[in-house]
Amino acid sequence: MPAKKKFIAAVSILIVLWIVTAFASVFSGIYDAGIVETVTGGDSLASTIFYKIRVPRVLMATLAGGTFAICGAALQALFRNPLASPFTLGISGGASLGAIIAMRTGLAAGFLGFSVVTIFAFVFSLLTMLFVYSVSRVGGIVATGRLLLAGVVMNFLYSAFILFVQFFSNFTESLQTMRWIMGSLDIVGYGEVWKTFLFVLPGGLLLLSMTKEMNLFGLGDDVASSLGVDVKKMERQIYFATSLSAGAVISVTGPIGFVGLIIPHILRMILGVDNRIVLPCSFLLGASFLTLADTVSRTLISPVEIPVGIITASIGGLFFLWLLIRTKKEVIV
Amino acid sequence: METIIECHEVGFSYGPRRILGGINLSFGKGSMHGILGANGAGKSTLLKLMTGALKPEAGEVLYREKPLRSIGRREIARRIAYIPQDPVFAFPFSVTEVILMGRAPYIGRFEFERESDLEMAREAMKTVGISHLEKRLISEISSGERQLASIARALVQEPEVMILDEPATFLDIRHRSEIMNILRKLRDERGILIIAATHDIFGALFYFDDIVMLKEGRIFAEGGVEEVVTGENLSALYGTEVAVKKEDGKLFVYPGE
Repeated sequence: MPAKKKFIAAVSILIVLWIVTAFASVFSGIYDAGIVETVTGGDSLASTIFYKIRVPRVLMATLAGGTFAICGAALQALFRNPLASPFTLGISGGASLGAIIAMRTGLAAGFLGFSVVTIFAFVFSLLTMLFVYSVSRVGGIVATGRLLLAGVVMNFLYSAFILFVQFFSNFTESLQTMRWIMGSLDIVGYGEVWKTFLFVLPGGLLLLSMTKEMNLFGLGDDVASSLGVDVKKMERQIYFATSLSAGAVISVTGPIGFVGLIIPHILRMILGVDNRIVLPCSFLLGASFLTLADTVSRTLISPVEIPVGIITASIGGLFFLWLLIRTKKEVIV
Repeated sequence: METIIECHEVGFSYGPRRILGGINLSFGKGSMHGILGANGAGKSTLLKLMTGALKPEAGEVLYREKPLRSIGRREIARRIAYIPQDPVFAFPFSVTEVILMGRAPYIGRFEFERESDLEMAREAMKTVGISHLEKRLISEISSGERQLASIARALVQEPEVMILDEPATFLDIRHRSEIMNILRKLRDERGILIIAATHDIFGALFYFDDIVMLKEGRIFAEGGVEEVVTGENLSALYGTEVAVKKEDGKLFVYPGE
């Protein structure tokens, strides 16, 4: 099928999937009134829960899932490696530490209308990415071993720093941080959604505008450049866009792992590797996936809410294992 | 002969290490040039200067009398195609997808390729003889077939110049001569200027019109094959004894006295 038709078909199907998932999510939960009463405000408690909690929550899940997945796809193109993602590269860990430092030092108050927590998360993810990229890239090629090792090491280091900060926190702060690290979409109202959206929108659009270059980049620096790609500029834009949008999301939801790894992977298995299709579809499927995972986390052992990060990490971990077993015969350099 | 690419006193260094100096060359339409030299002689660097991937530190590379550095990337991509020695294919694109990427300099940022682009890709596959691989993944075909796909990708750029870095080094003799014959055909039928770095002296004797010999970043010898490819020159170029003999009007190269 020509790329354009495939693009239109895949995007349409995924939009429908998202609408269905979002619809199912906002109408499921422990407090259940009829749909009409809930939406029109006939039952005021149901209505409040619907507009103040469930709708913003679904929007946040959409933004977060979409962002992690599209960043994963872009990073995989940048590293020319299907195992790159915000989580495996240690970028999530960096953003977490940045956010926690900002929270604990009381800088969270806000600066020029932007949350300092978000800015710290952005800066830490950017630095982590630059470091991992420069360490894992040897002679123009990213060695998978070095890449994953660098990511694991960064994650360990950041955990150590986070535990250090935790150790000096009081019980309430410590519990708060712990819950946040587990990854949760537990928000009230639209403030956080807007704040995140302001970062995700430019980052996401920038990534979507570069999908053709990402394809060419897959042919190596020299060929990409001979086909008109400004390779250095493209690399810088991907660093910037992914740190900005993933950092902003993580500063609100905490690190929700594996979405950025699994979603692009699944899409490539079904649709092929064309980034012009994989990136936009990653956003849509990531959005549906996290919305669904969040619905499961709220309803599985209701009324207890399991942090959604635990759900995605379990699914993601199993998926990763399956991938390892499946590719056992292939040599992963 | 119409001059397409010229180097004027071109020099280049990586940090303190001088790679090329005082390079003066001129390449005309519809000819085929081989660049010989030992490893590290500066062949790849010279090629990258002529694709515009690197900017010369001294002198100027001219494309049709205009400095290459003053021409935009997309514009260059429509004129000069580059084929590396060992192409990278990080993701399993289909052969058709890879070839269509050669149309990138003609397609807008948010556009997909048109039917005419696809038609052109099919035509290019036919020219290099890989039509049967159309639907295969680039990761599952042989390195010789991959090199042919790279040439097809370069062809849909509709270039006036094709620059190749050791296009056939890793290939067996059948693919090697197949590729050289295709290049020869492109030179004759489309007037494409072909410049290729090569370690294959034996092939160089048969296929190229002119030879440039690079030694330690400088031009050591330059001219027609018969006049430049001598035992004396080759021995000096590679630092080992090489002999050249002519039999039945054909040149033969072999190691030793």
